[in-house]
Amino acid sequence: MTLVQTRTDGASLVDGYRAVAGDAPMRALEALARSLRGHRIAMVNSTATGGGVAEILHRLVPLLNELGVPTTWEVMSGDARFHGITKTIHNALHGGPGTLSDADIEHFLATNRRAAAELALDGDLVLIHDPQPAALAELRRTRGQCWLWRCHIDLSRAAPDVLDFVVARVNQYDAAVFSHETFVPPLATPGFLAPPSIDPLSDKNRELTEAEVDDLLDPYGLPAETPLVTQVSRFDRLKDPLGVIEAFTLARRREKAHLVLAGGSADDDPEGAAVLAEVRTRAGARDDITILDLPPDAHLVINALQRRSAVVVQKSLREGFALTVSEALWKRRAVVASAVGGIPLQILHERTGLLVRSVEGCALQIVRLLRDAGLRRRLGREGREHVRDNFLHPREARDYLAIFAHLLARASTSRAG
Amino acid sequence: MSARQGFELRHVVHLARPLGRRAGDLEQLRAELLAAPIDALFHHAVQYQLRDPGAEQLCPDDLSAWIGGVVQDAETAERLSFVVQGAQASPETLRAGMLEVLEAVPAKRRAERDAPEGSAFQFHGSVTLSFPTGTVLGEAHEVVDALLEADASVWFFHLVEEPWNTGGRAPLIEWLAARREERLAGWLAEAAASGLPIDKARARVLQRWRRSHIGRRLAEAALTPGAERREAGRQAIANLVRRTPRPERDS
Repeated sequence: MTLVQTRTDGASLVDGYRAVAGDAPMRALEALARSLRGHRIAMVNSTATGGGVAEILHRLVPLLNELGVPTTWEVMSGDARFHGITKTIHNALHGGPGTLSDADIEHFLATNRRAAAELALDGDLVLIHDPQPAALAELRRTRGQCWLWRCHIDLSRAAPDVLDFVVARVNQYDAAVFSHETFVPPLATPGFLAPPSIDPLSDKNRELTEAEVDDLLDPYGLPAETPLVTQVSRFDRLKDPLGVIEAFTLARRREKAHLVLAGGSADDDPEGAAVLAEVRTRAGARDDITILDLPPDAHLVINALQRRSAVVVQKSLREGFALTVSEALWKRRAVVASAVGGIPLQILHERTGLLVRSVEGCALQIVRLLRDAGLRRRLGREGREHVRDNFLHPREARDYLAIFAHLLARASTSRAG
Repeated sequence: MSARQGFELRHVVHLARPLGRRAGDLEQLRAELLAAPIDALFHHAVQYQLRDPGAEQLCPDDLSAWIGGVVQDAETAERLSFVVQGAQASPETLRAGMLEVLEAVPAKRRAERDAPEGSAFQFHGSVTLSFPTGTVLGEAHEVVDALLEADASVWFFHLVEEPWNTGGRAPLIEWLAARREERLAGWLAEAAASGLPIDKARARVLQRWRRSHIGRRLAEAALTPGAERREAGRQAIANLVRRTPRPERDS
């Protein structure tokens, strides 16, 4: 078991977030943290590096400590077999193939039992992330503790057998938190919704100067004078990259522009590689389309690309939450996106962006935005404010603290009753 | 409430809880609204005001946003939005207003106006958690500055949510009335119900409050030394310059 050490550079995260999220919301967060004085939070997940959860915890844990709520973060360990089983669980929860044998279940529970014996769990408020350590509540709960399970994944297409196994673990918690309502399975324990959030201080979202943007994009040879229309998404059919090319082709009949499809590396994903090949074939030799297969750590390039784009598109056929939309809005970009998954929470139609339902609708709105800089500015301005108020890390920290405060108040009421 | 008691300002956070109820078209939305619990009405048609306090215009409530953005029925969305903004007096007034708008669409068309797959309207409930700001008002004149400086949730809790819960005047308004500040109480209540985003509503009250005190401030200023008056003038100009919007960058 590993106690994760976070941040040592000494800069105040509270001050950093105050500078971008505003003083009043940060004072509210500080007041909420004061109301939890005397409590300690222990968090557990399965990895200290790589993946979105670890990224969030590297910010959240020091932020909570700085706010005066002592918080520790431990990583549970497991052998190769355990990680194979949790990979099967992960894939099955995402709707992929996979079942658990009795032996798999026993190994999963045995690994959680060992973790339950070894983890310090130095807190009366325990926040467990994702399915790997989900059995800890039934194995380690002590009197007076509040246990909260945070699900960061989309369970809407989960394989029933595996979902049932996970739900039986989750029902041992005082509450569970999900990113979107469509991810919430039937539960015996109370469920809450807390949308995911972006980090305005990270390389992917921090402010860049024009010179930095130029330097970062220089190697890709993008046209300097032509407005960019960009979709940033992994190469996946559900992100509809071919539909984006189709919509762009229609839009190009009316306005000059250059399409950039930027996605993550598809090396370890056979389907991704196939989709990337299809996209390359469809784009052919066109000089108004650039396809970028970027490495996973190309955060600054993505940041620069979004900032340089006149229009950002997210024409998904199906979505989880689609935080790339918030990333673009945070950079004051005009966004055209499908009305699926968590996108309508981020895009308020005609206020913070434009929602579309078809290829033609997407083309229409791209043209409209390319022709109207004022509209782009207005949507971008409102979009940034919407993200500031709803989709930055301090709001996610606030939600966790509020849920714990609610659970403590409920426990106190039931003791008094 | 006694005029002598201080008034404690509180922040509020709302926790959304999934209800497992959804609507894929306007007919299903109408049927669900008939039975929606009050905290769902609150979450979707009252609490939305707190999500974009600094917007240029009040953002649409969740139902209007879904009808306009996802179903793309602009007319019904506009009509519903207008009704929601003006029907915040009680849960049943709000429910009746929303149903009236939806029932004005013929039943067959209600079923035809649907959302794409995976974009059904999901009903949420709401759990309120309020906690102290640390500010206790002693005098009525402290109210305006305190409400302006605080997080938007403080305004929302005392001037929108408490009246919604009590079905009458907010405790803060009662407290002001008990201190013979009926005029300020009226401005606050009016601004909270104005259909303006919270920051604009707050600015409106501040403007009225300042105007109402011009006479007193002039009289006070006349008694201060010249150097102090000049410094105050410089400060005012500096504030004005700071507040002047700068041109924004585009792509």
